[in-house]
Amino acid sequence: MSEKRRGKLEIIADILRSIQSKNGRIKPTHLLYKSNLSHAKLKEYIDVLMKKGMIEEKQEKGKKIFLMKELGYKFLLEFERIKEFSDSFGL
Amino acid sequence: MLFDNVPYGLPSYIFSPKWFYGFDSIIESVAVIVSILLVYYSYKCFKLTHENRYLYFSTAFLSITFAFLAKIIGTLAIYKPKITRSAVGSSIHETFNTLTPSYINAVSFVVFIFFMLLGFMILFLIISRLTWKNQRILALLVYFVFLATWISTIHYQLFYVTTFVLLSLITYSYYRNYQEIKSVNARFVLFAFSIILISQAFFIFIIYSRTVYVLAELIQLLGFIYLLIPFVLIFKKKPKKHKLVK
Repeated sequence: MSEKRRGKLEIIADILRSIQSKNGRIKPTHLLYKSNLSHAKLKEYIDVLMKKGMIEEKQEKGKKIFLMKELGYKFLLEFERIKEFSDSFGL
Repeated sequence: MLFDNVPYGLPSYIFSPKWFYGFDSIIESVAVIVSILLVYYSYKCFKLTHENRYLYFSTAFLSITFAFLAKIIGTLAIYKPKITRSAVGSSIHETFNTLTPSYINAVSFVVFIFFMLLGFMILFLIISRLTWKNQRILALLVYFVFLATWISTIHYQLFYVTTFVLLSLITYSYYRNYQEIKSVNARFVLFAFSIILISQAFFIFIIYSRTVYVLAELIQLLGFIYLLIPFVLIFKKKPKKHKLVK
């Protein structure tokens, strides 16, 4: 059976979940692997998330990492609620 | 049961026993509150996601809200002599002083029938995954709503038979949804619609006994309370504990 294509919001939630699963900090290579996106697509989404203030980029021992911000956690909670609502009411 | 002469040959109905006057309106107020919560949240989901399915769901429950509000106004107009002493009752009495209670009751019931059928029809369309591309089917179903409203004003029982049929299809879809999702909330939604379906079965027979009307209203109340439970559970969901990394 073919999987349903992910919507934009689902992709954003998947990226944030990936960061959350790594205690709120993740290396770009790990994120690329976990998000199941091309490098170009991931960069697009990362830019959007940083612009919206959900994640931030930092340098740690000369290496780039992404950190989840409070707004990212809030988005994830709201997304989970909408998903639960949608599933429960068959939408 | 009360049948008065009102304009356009519209009948006026009241099925409640006297001791239950007003209680049915309280029960319907609960249904209004639950429906408004669903309207509000699904519209919020639409604003956040821009997905039309949330807008349609919101419209369905908005229609059901209008239906219950119409029924409340219609029944309170008839119960007026009993309630005009209360603050709410006297204000309603003042507002509608120029209209006869039977007239308000009759018109309200037509509005109630139309919006209830429309609401359930939209709900049926959403969970049947019909889209606006199926325009001919949609046009036919809208015609069906108008037709059912018209015939229901003549044969009131037919209205509840129609809502029973629509709710049977909706409940079956929610059964399939529960089979697929297997979540506690999906089960509550299935229970809620099953209970509301049972209440419609009772409503079919209200012309034979006033006690059946009381039972039907109480079952309907239970159904709407069950509909509220998944909503509350979703909002009780707490964020996972996290430490912000600096």
